[in-house]
Amino acid sequence: MAEKLDVQQGTLALMILKTLDVLGPLHGYGVARRIEETSKNRLTLNYGTLYPALLKLEQEGSIKAEWRQSENNRRAKFYSLTAAGRKQLARETREWNQTADLIAAFLAPRRETS
Amino acid sequence: MKYLRAALARLVGFFTGDRADADLREELQAHLEMATAENIRRGMRPDEARRQAMLASGGLTGAAESVRDQRGLPWLEGIAADVRYALRTLRRSRVFTAVVVITLALGIGANTAMFTLLRGTLLRPLPNRDGQRLVYLRQSAPGAREQNVLFSVPELADYRAGSNTLSAIAEFSSSLPFTLVGSDGHPVRVKVGIVSGNYFDVMGLEPVVGRLTNAGDDGPAAAPVSVLSYEYWNERFGGDPHIVGHTVRLNDKVSTIVGVVQPAPHYPEPTDVFVNTVTSPHHLSATMVTGRTHRMSEVFARLAPNSTVDQARVELTRIATGMFHDHPESYEKAKQFGITVMPLRDALNERASFMFWLLMGAAAFVLLIACANVSNLTLMRGVGREREMHVRAALGAGTARLRRLLLVENLALALIGGAIGVLVAYAGLKLLVAFAAQLSPRAHEIRVDGVVLAVGLATSVLVAIVLSFVPRIGGERTLGTSLAPTGGGRRTTLGRGRQRVQQSLVVAQVAACVVLLSGAGLLVRTLTKLASVETGVRADHVLTLDMPLEGDLLREVMKQPQNFAKYEAVRERVATLPGVEIASLGAAAPLRASIMEMDVKAEGQALAPNQMMPHGAVRSVDPQYFNVSAIPLLKGRAFEATDRRGSPLVVILNRAFAKKLFGDVDPIGRRVAMTGDVLRFTPFTGDWRTVVGVVGDTRDHGLDNDPTPTMYEPFAQELIFGATLIVRTTSDPAVVQPMIVKAIHDLYPRQLIEHIATVEQIRDETVAPRRLNAMFIASFGALAFVIAMVGIAGVLAFSVSSRTAEIGIRMSLGADTGRVRRMILSEGGVLLAAGLVVGLTGALFATRLLSGLLFGITAHDPVTLGAVALILTAVGIGACWLPAARAARVDPAVALRAE
Repeated sequence: MAEKLDVQQGTLALMILKTLDVLGPLHGYGVARRIEETSKNRLTLNYGTLYPALLKLEQEGSIKAEWRQSENNRRAKFYSLTAAGRKQLARETREWNQTADLIAAFLAPRRETS
Repeated sequence: MKYLRAALARLVGFFTGDRADADLREELQAHLEMATAENIRRGMRPDEARRQAMLASGGLTGAAESVRDQRGLPWLEGIAADVRYALRTLRRSRVFTAVVVITLALGIGANTAMFTLLRGTLLRPLPNRDGQRLVYLRQSAPGAREQNVLFSVPELADYRAGSNTLSAIAEFSSSLPFTLVGSDGHPVRVKVGIVSGNYFDVMGLEPVVGRLTNAGDDGPAAAPVSVLSYEYWNERFGGDPHIVGHTVRLNDKVSTIVGVVQPAPHYPEPTDVFVNTVTSPHHLSATMVTGRTHRMSEVFARLAPNSTVDQARVELTRIATGMFHDHPESYEKAKQFGITVMPLRDALNERASFMFWLLMGAAAFVLLIACANVSNLTLMRGVGREREMHVRAALGAGTARLRRLLLVENLALALIGGAIGVLVAYAGLKLLVAFAAQLSPRAHEIRVDGVVLAVGLATSVLVAIVLSFVPRIGGERTLGTSLAPTGGGRRTTLGRGRQRVQQSLVVAQVAACVVLLSGAGLLVRTLTKLASVETGVRADHVLTLDMPLEGDLLREVMKQPQNFAKYEAVRERVATLPGVEIASLGAAAPLRASIMEMDVKAEGQALAPNQMMPHGAVRSVDPQYFNVSAIPLLKGRAFEATDRRGSPLVVILNRAFAKKLFGDVDPIGRRVAMTGDVLRFTPFTGDWRTVVGVVGDTRDHGLDNDPTPTMYEPFAQELIFGATLIVRTTSDPAVVQPMIVKAIHDLYPRQLIEHIATVEQIRDETVAPRRLNAMFIASFGALAFVIAMVGIAGVLAFSVSSRTAEIGIRMSLGADTGRVRRMILSEGGVLLAAGLVVGLTGALFATRLLSGLLFGITAHDPVTLGAVALILTAVGIGACWLPAARAARVDPAVALRAE
């Protein structure tokens, strides 16, 4: 079984935004499933992590929520990106990539040449 | 922007929590069902599918809690809960709460009261425009024991001409008595200040109604004008806004009221009416304008821009030195003339400052003791609650959360205490103002305002914070580490470190209490010493009434025969009243200082070089005066009815003056005469007068001063400046008084009668300020005393209850009740003794501050310190006795079973 990882601080918001960007309006369960699948089940999200993060994004105005019928006719709260959320996603993606490049370059095995 | 929005959303969330909760439950339920459905699709049995879904998602309740924290303001919700909880706990331990609240109320109340006093008088800026640029000038002659000799017109001209550091100099004088007759025709005495036209401008005061004086009001050609003080305007004219233009008669001048000045501190004298110089003819007389030694004016000045008080001081001292050099005849070397320059604000509070800061210190001390006491009580309670804290910690409360709970509890206690304290201070405001008014002309500015309330609140909060962190001082067991479970048993004793803290707190309380009580004791002893001082006159059953002349005094004085006839008629009439034993006339009541003091020379007695001319009070009295006030005739004869105008001039000296003038030579039959430059400005002559008698000394300048050298002249022989009727009564003076007043008014319906007082009351007046001082310090001392005794008893009581088991064991092993009692008593005794030693040492230093207020004892008066130590020991042992007796009653069987 693959190694389980804790969700890193700050990355969950980005994952949620990207998920909503790719899949469109989605309920909390869908978001969780998608993130778990994308991570090949290396990440598990429990409610106590996911829902506060969703609420925080909603409070900040990046996503909005509304009650709708789900695919199997169940009432569920659907989250979707707002314009501000789209902007935030673009900005955070850029920042994350830069950071990732930087860290990758930093950690790459490399002999010092004189 | 993002954060603002989030904060706003949280605030909304805080209030809409209930609806959102239902929402959240539904959302989480939906999530769970979807997960379950998914699991079933993967082939699990329904119940297993649900279980797995639950496991994966980590529990509904915890999640809901996390979301709730994100949604609202969890700390605020927590605090609301803490407050509810704190109030509930406090309600449950009523005695604890009551003791703490009362202790804190006393401490915070005392501090709020003293701060109110301090702020109103010392701290607030003056109401005058640019009040900090105002200075007060004072000329003194310490060599002649004159603190304030005032300034003469030529002196002021010199200062005005020579000074660059002062932009303007204003004059104020108040020495002459005035009567005011308004539209109702009744004469009343008013306190008049004669001011230069620029006075209000220099003082930076604005009119409330009309105008104030200006340069146009100076000089002999100006019309007489009056400016009312704000207080007098309200009191006499009911704040009539149309007062401007009305006229009043001041002595012989008709004066027009031109305005009312804004409220401002009255200095150096309380003043009802300000008038221009033309209102007082004396101020424009040649002697006043040209006489360098005719000093009548108080002087206020405004610093020039960019000048400092120090610069002004240097410059004016230079000018003064030049003046002393140019006019040696007006500045006797031996009198050591000098000039002082001080900011007006300091001048106003010259007498108050020391006393008020002293009392503020005493109040702070009381608060300190109160805090020590309350932290002791809190410590004890903390031990009892340690298990509660363990339980809370086990249920997941963090250290910060527990600390907050304590803080909230202490805040609740301190705020309730503070609120009661402020109310107490507010209730005592009147007393406070009355006290302050004796020392500071700014007393009427004292009020409880926002700043005072804020300081009261801040003090309460500070106290709460201090109290919450005290359990930490104990050292090895901080709140955090004490949360580690230490076995389930109930811990009932303090750790050694905390025990030591608690004991030092008690020692500190007792010590502080000793210091305060010593101070109070010294002041009270001073009072008793003063009470036993011989005044030289008989005080009981002697009533005095002032009957001043009306109108322009200097003119009225010259009508000696009419005045004498009038007063004589009054005396004869009063003497026949039932209940009157002797009626007598004098220029001033016994023990009241004479307004007249003169240099007097003795015939044939040469002055040693550099010796000052003997100086003493001059009093005119009638033949009965020495009888009525029981002043003993030591030599020669008293005055007789034949000593009147036209007969040879005679005087009687008191012993102090006789000694000063003639040394050991018998003065009877020798001659003396008034002398000095001042004589020129008075209607008196420097004729030789024969000494016919010597009488006993009297203390007319207060009980704490040496007897005043006095020369008595026959009332019938001299000019009369007004008279005091002195009556010895056979019954209660208060009963006879209305009859006397009626008798006087039967004869002269318009005669003013003032200052009705018995000699006992006059004597009392000189002690009254000291009594108030003593009362204030003593009440702080009493406060500290009560608090400290409650403290020591409380600590012992706690010690006993926590050692019940130990005592039980000791008793079952054979210790008898006496032994147990001794054990507890000695525990308290050690604390008491340590506190006494520290306190007495502290008192030896602290009471030195008081030495200026003492009379007849030293600051280290052994009787006082001994008495304080004795009282504290006695009451302290009493306080220890209660818990000790309780310990002795412990039943070993019950005590051991209880564990």
